[in-house]
Amino acid sequence: MRWLQRHIRPEQIREFSLLLLIVAAVLIFGSMIDGYYTSRTFNRIASSVAIITVVAVGQTLVVLTRNIDLAVGSIVGCTAYFTGAQLAAHHGLPPVVAVLIAMALGCAMGAINGALVAYGRVPSIIVTLGSLAIYRGILIDYSGARTVTTDSLPKWLIDLPRLNFITIGDLDIRAMFALAVGIVVLFQIGTSFLNVARRFYAMGSNPDAAELIGMPTRQIVFSAFVLSGTLSGLAGFMFLARFGNITVEAARGMELQVVAAVVVGGVNIFGGSGTVFGAMLGAIMIAILEQSLFRLQISEFWRDAILGLLILMAVASDAVILNRLRAIWSRTELKLVTRPGTGAAP
Amino acid sequence: MKKILLATALAGIVALLAPHHAARAEATVAPGASVDMVLLPKFLGILPFDQAHQGAEEAAKELKNGKKLQYLGPTPENSVAGQIEIVTNAATQGVGAIMISNNSGDQIVPAAKAAKAKGAKVVTWDSQIPSAEGEDVFVAQVDFSETGKVMADMALHILGADGGKFAILSASPDAANQNAWIAAMKDALKDPKYSKLELQGIVYGNDQSETSYNQALAMVDKFPGMKLIMAPTSVGIVAAAKAMQDEKLCDKIKISGLGVPSEMLAYTKNGCAPEFALWSFVDLGYLSYYTAYGLATGAFKAEAGTSFKAGRMGTYTITKDPTRKAGLRVLMGPFSLYNKDNVEAAAK
Amino acid sequence: MTLPPILRRWEALLLLMLVVIAGLNIVYSPFYLGVGNIVNLFQLSIEKIIVALMMTLIIINGEIDLSVASVMGLSSCVTAYTFHAGWPMGWALTAGLASGAVAGAINGFWIAYVGLPSLAVTLAGLIGYRGVARILVEDRAYGGFPEWFNQLGQQPLLGPLTFSIIIFLAMFVFMAVVLHRSAAGRLVYVMGNNVQAARYSGVRVKRVKLLLFVASGVVAALAGLLYSARLGSVRGDMAVGFELDVITIVLLGGVSIFGGSGNLLGVGLSILVILNLRNGMGLADITGNTQTSVIGALLILSVLVPNMARGLHSKLQGRET
Repeated sequence: MRWLQRHIRPEQIREFSLLLLIVAAVLIFGSMIDGYYTSRTFNRIASSVAIITVVAVGQTLVVLTRNIDLAVGSIVGCTAYFTGAQLAAHHGLPPVVAVLIAMALGCAMGAINGALVAYGRVPSIIVTLGSLAIYRGILIDYSGARTVTTDSLPKWLIDLPRLNFITIGDLDIRAMFALAVGIVVLFQIGTSFLNVARRFYAMGSNPDAAELIGMPTRQIVFSAFVLSGTLSGLAGFMFLARFGNITVEAARGMELQVVAAVVVGGVNIFGGSGTVFGAMLGAIMIAILEQSLFRLQISEFWRDAILGLLILMAVASDAVILNRLRAIWSRTELKLVTRPGTGAAP
Repeated sequence: MKKILLATALAGIVALLAPHHAARAEATVAPGASVDMVLLPKFLGILPFDQAHQGAEEAAKELKNGKKLQYLGPTPENSVAGQIEIVTNAATQGVGAIMISNNSGDQIVPAAKAAKAKGAKVVTWDSQIPSAEGEDVFVAQVDFSETGKVMADMALHILGADGGKFAILSASPDAANQNAWIAAMKDALKDPKYSKLELQGIVYGNDQSETSYNQALAMVDKFPGMKLIMAPTSVGIVAAAKAMQDEKLCDKIKISGLGVPSEMLAYTKNGCAPEFALWSFVDLGYLSYYTAYGLATGAFKAEAGTSFKAGRMGTYTITKDPTRKAGLRVLMGPFSLYNKDNVEAAAK
Repeated sequence: MTLPPILRRWEALLLLMLVVIAGLNIVYSPFYLGVGNIVNLFQLSIEKIIVALMMTLIIINGEIDLSVASVMGLSSCVTAYTFHAGWPMGWALTAGLASGAVAGAINGFWIAYVGLPSLAVTLAGLIGYRGVARILVEDRAYGGFPEWFNQLGQQPLLGPLTFSIIIFLAMFVFMAVVLHRSAAGRLVYVMGNNVQAARYSGVRVKRVKLLLFVASGVVAALAGLLYSARLGSVRGDMAVGFELDVITIVLLGGVSIFGGSGNLLGVGLSILVILNLRNGMGLADITGNTQTSVIGALLILSVLVPNMARGLHSKLQGRET
């Protein structure tokens, strides 16, 4: 315990408290729903989490720098539709090229947002509220009200959501879920150990100080938006594969789901603290609540009220657990000689 | 009087439109007038509404209206407030006629009344004003109580004589036409003919592809023994079909409802959605335009018993709307039923 | 009212935009200047701009309230439900307003006394309060309110002005006095700038925050009731998605999302800019996504252009010296 306390801050293991809540939720729902512990339940939750998680990773990076990206839903919709239209017109397009098209488009849209925020010095909420509407408007003009339909898409793409990455006993781990987890792991390692990526935290904790010590704050913010856009582009491709039928309304409102995942996942909305792993846990938590509520035999009209209450409870109990941990830490800290470098995070 | 004979033969297809000419002389709609007209869909960006726009433009060309048809619509997340705003602004501009696919229930009434007070003719199409206040006439695509029977027939046909359990995937809880159709279907199910059909519940996908897809999957768990999903919405039906196909459940759970042939083609051919129905939105736009133009130019009045000739579509009569407490209607029809034999031709 | 120079410049820019937009409207639409149109211009968005006034205080205070649109829906559904359960209209309206106060108090409690971020709490509220409204009305639509109630929402009351517009004007004056001329208003700014400093200086930070959220709930509930009166009928999806429009108005008014700065004059001008722009585009038959895209672009450009001009200006000055 001592060792633990010396090396880890409560903020760093807040994901642990969320994990506890997730386990508790699964146990509670499992006792209420027959046949809950099946591979099908796992798959339902895993596939609904995969797309949100990829977007939430990008959103986390943006939020760490004290910004917000509300345009993600529109970017996902645009890339899904545009990539779908390209694949429908050119069946021979190699899968890799299709993914690259989606990511490049998302990257470009993110770069516009990033440039306006970082170099135009326009607050991110204003930029992305604006581009949320503008990107969707462009999509509607471009589409001419046509829908990308499943039968116009190449077969490999339609089969993609059913593709298994690995099968453990009864449990199928779908490729799309594996991809999402892979991205979380990649970015978690990156933001934990790479100096370049640690800057997201430094800059979000105190932008003025970061600028004073000569950090390229503008590049950091810009790259956060570019990454968020690129990941949204990838999510757009996954969206296309999963849903097949893409209307111009695709992914409208996704920004709220993503912000909810990030906030429930314990990422501080004022920047500087939180992890991409936490964001994934937030997405999983919400997906478990949504999916399980549906299977309970309760009226369709009660679900949102209960969902709102449960999200509030998740956020509140997370805060309570975290405060307890902090209290334990500071109590033992008084006994120990305070080590330099473990000064409380802001 | 015009009668619609709806022959929902089990083999699918065919409903005959058999206009019986009224004793009263039918009004002729004279082309060449200049009337400002607005076509207002529930929102922009969805295929059926664009098809209706196409039909309305076709009618506008035929009638040589000197003024350009305005196709104006709100964004989906702002549909109610947006529709009210567009109707109000159209009234301010003094347009001659507004054609509304109403998404706002009775909430549009004050705006529609104000528009009428300013001299505009208010024609609803696709989705009516429930109380009929502020509305001159409703151009109904099909008879709403007939919709219930058609859906029940399709369910029985797909499930076979033994029937079975099914559930409904609707649009939003506030969608007036879906609610009317579902109510009509519940009514129809009281007939002993359908006694083997058991409705397990209604679920809402909010006319969003991804929500509908997820809801369809969740229905599989929520409703044990469900053999059919009935989706009276073009967005919901495709999403449900894709969801069942992805989960390899098409053998156990079939999809039916109202859908657009070009979007349903693959699922009908592979058996996921063996049968579904719809009407022509192009014709609906065309007929709505003729009706609104005729009213606005004074060629005929919005009264029960009035007949008029609507170009290529033939003669129609305004009648009392039997599906509402008040209001007038022009009934278009017929239903087209689609299955693997005719869906390909219709998709083109 | 003494304001930092930069804010004065912001209001000047908004005023310039307003003049340009109104000018274009006058030139391009013969209907724009009609009394009926000007009243409609306000009336069509009246509930959003009433909520925007209160949202200004919340954002200056360094918080946000995403649940306002759901509270609007909640209050109208509570009123419709209780009225149809046989309550007199007066009591049904009181119940509607009370539901807003309760929703606001729940938000305020978790934010002020437990210290949860307002974004998270009110996001849960956005889902949850809408859910409660849904439980009450399910898939039904409620109409048939007393005639006086519908007339209150639809007919002019004083000259051409409707009841809602009078409420808005009164609230604007009241809030301007509170925010810019009272000790309470100064508190709102101080807390938005630095909560710690406010706490040390003896301000009852928690109580003030709680009161602000209760007020936000009540104002949203009132707006919801005005909306029901204007439409004459209530459904479960009343006012869905209004929160983004409300926040857009406040931000265009020059209020900083991080709290501590902004004022009601800016928000008032921003309201006029957006309403006139919407009205002008509506009369020019520009609707749907084109309209929201134009407002989005305006939002970005209104901050970007002055920033760039300032950047250019300082660069030129740098060269001279």
